[in-house]
Amino acid sequence: MRWLSWMFGLTDQHEPLLAREEDLPGIGRVRVSYVVDCMGAMCPRPQLLTMKILGLIGEGEVIEVISDNPAAVEAFPSLAETLYCTHLLTVRETDCWRLYLRKGAGA
Amino acid sequence: MSVNAGVVQGSGWLEQHRSKLYSAGILLAVVLGSIWALSIDSRFLYLLVYVWFGVTYGVLLQYGRFCMAAAVRDLFAVRVPRMAVGMMIAVGLYSLVASVVTLSGFSSFHPNALGWHILIGGLIFGFGFVFTGGCASGSLYKAGEGNLNSVLVIFSISFSQALVVTSGGWLDSFAPASWAESALTKGMPEELTVTQGWFDLFTAGYVWDLKGATLADMLGMGESTFGILFFNTFVNALLPVMIILVALYVFYARKGYLRKSGKTNPTFADELAGIWAMCTSSRNTALAGIGLGIFAGLHMWVTGVLREHYGIFNFGEMLSAMGYEQGLSIQGTVFDPGYWYITTQEAQWGGWVMDKLGIDMMDSIFFGLDNGLPNPLLNAPGFMSIGIILGAAILALARREFKWKIPTLETATFAILGGIFMGIGARLAMGCNIGAFFATVTNGDPSGWIFLLGMVGGGYVGVKVFTRWMDWKMAREGGCDL
Repeated sequence: MRWLSWMFGLTDQHEPLLAREEDLPGIGRVRVSYVVDCMGAMCPRPQLLTMKILGLIGEGEVIEVISDNPAAVEAFPSLAETLYCTHLLTVRETDCWRLYLRKGAGA
Repeated sequence: MSVNAGVVQGSGWLEQHRSKLYSAGILLAVVLGSIWALSIDSRFLYLLVYVWFGVTYGVLLQYGRFCMAAAVRDLFAVRVPRMAVGMMIAVGLYSLVASVVTLSGFSSFHPNALGWHILIGGLIFGFGFVFTGGCASGSLYKAGEGNLNSVLVIFSISFSQALVVTSGGWLDSFAPASWAESALTKGMPEELTVTQGWFDLFTAGYVWDLKGATLADMLGMGESTFGILFFNTFVNALLPVMIILVALYVFYARKGYLRKSGKTNPTFADELAGIWAMCTSSRNTALAGIGLGIFAGLHMWVTGVLREHYGIFNFGEMLSAMGYEQGLSIQGTVFDPGYWYITTQEAQWGGWVMDKLGIDMMDSIFFGLDNGLPNPLLNAPGFMSIGIILGAAILALARREFKWKIPTLETATFAILGGIFMGIGARLAMGCNIGAFFATVTNGDPSGWIFLLGMVGGGYVGVKVFTRWMDWKMAREGGCDL
């Protein structure tokens, strides 16, 4: 799959330059606004990065978080609840997990 | 919701099952090693109890991604109570099992001396573990997942502790004169040079003058069933656990739960349901908490039964009877807590290496009088730490979560510096989040709550510094490629 890197400088303009469509099992097609690449990052870095991105995107937008840190992946569903967003899905890949979070509560 | 995708991508049976084979291989190696040790001397059973409880802790820690550093850190860093809840579940269950063990007379627990050093040690320890990404046991299980950062943390904790307990010179000037006076009255053997080395002065001149006792002991009811059950288990462990769980719910989980469940006028039953939802929000963590609590209690009981069976108080006596005299303390003892403990045996690893490099370590109270400096191959609690690494590796490989992670310059620096803070904090407080908190509060010793208070304060400051660093780094680089 295509791994997109996230550029901090672009986020202010809020132009979903990196957007793409993804078909999530059981959820359907969603538009992924940003990809937070946390490969190799230790706690609490993945969580803090995700918090920052969620602060920048709009209500209803979906982000993808890529992490190879089991402890961080375990923490995301509860993190989503705290951050008023919805944890859509966690996909297990061979060497990482991909998590999908939608900003805003409700399915 | 979670799904598996592309997990099996390799071709061929071997490729697909390689990870599971490694897992089974490690398990087999531990079994064969145990049999080999027993064939040399059946009394190694005592050491193997540490090994297998270590493996169990490792499996459970990895299963629940259980990390007590995260419990404190995540409250401030990301306002997530998941791990704090898991930790409280473990404390509650450990205390229940510990009460049964105490009542049956097999408890090996020793209370910590109560004093300012616990708060200060907790602060330093809590500050350090924000940067290492894991507590002392957390680093062990993450090392078992292939995280080489955590291996650096373990090295750093080991050597910083060994240095703390033996260093002298200019550091001695930090010790007040009253400590030296008090230390001299303790009648310590000449070879310990008790007035040299600030940690010796701290131990003999300060800590030994303090009292440590369980709550029931303080109230003169340490022997009574009621005292143990009511004061040690209920007042010192279960009640604080309940208060903390309610506080976590009110401050961290309530808003999210009510919003999610759409309740605007929550009844008492709704609030209880909310607390339950908070406790069960991460099934893995809750189950690991239950398992860790029960096994940590059982560990004390099994060691207590074995001590009675062999007629010993300390593993040192057994080592001596088996013909291993080297590395015993002046009292003929070695470190042998009889329950879950991490930092002291790691200090012994560092100390042993330094001793082999020709530095005199045995003139310290910590090694020379109390804990000895056994060969790592005969260090029973040391094998508990190794067991945690192996147990975590067994499960991580079986679940295909094992992955070598190479430190970057930044994470390596954090691991080493954070590890040094943790080492210093752990020695000042006489233990880490396991020895000074988990094992104490559950056995009726209130000093552990003071350590937790220190850890929370240190964690808070650590998170502030850590987020500042991240912001600064991102602003400077104008981007982020982790």
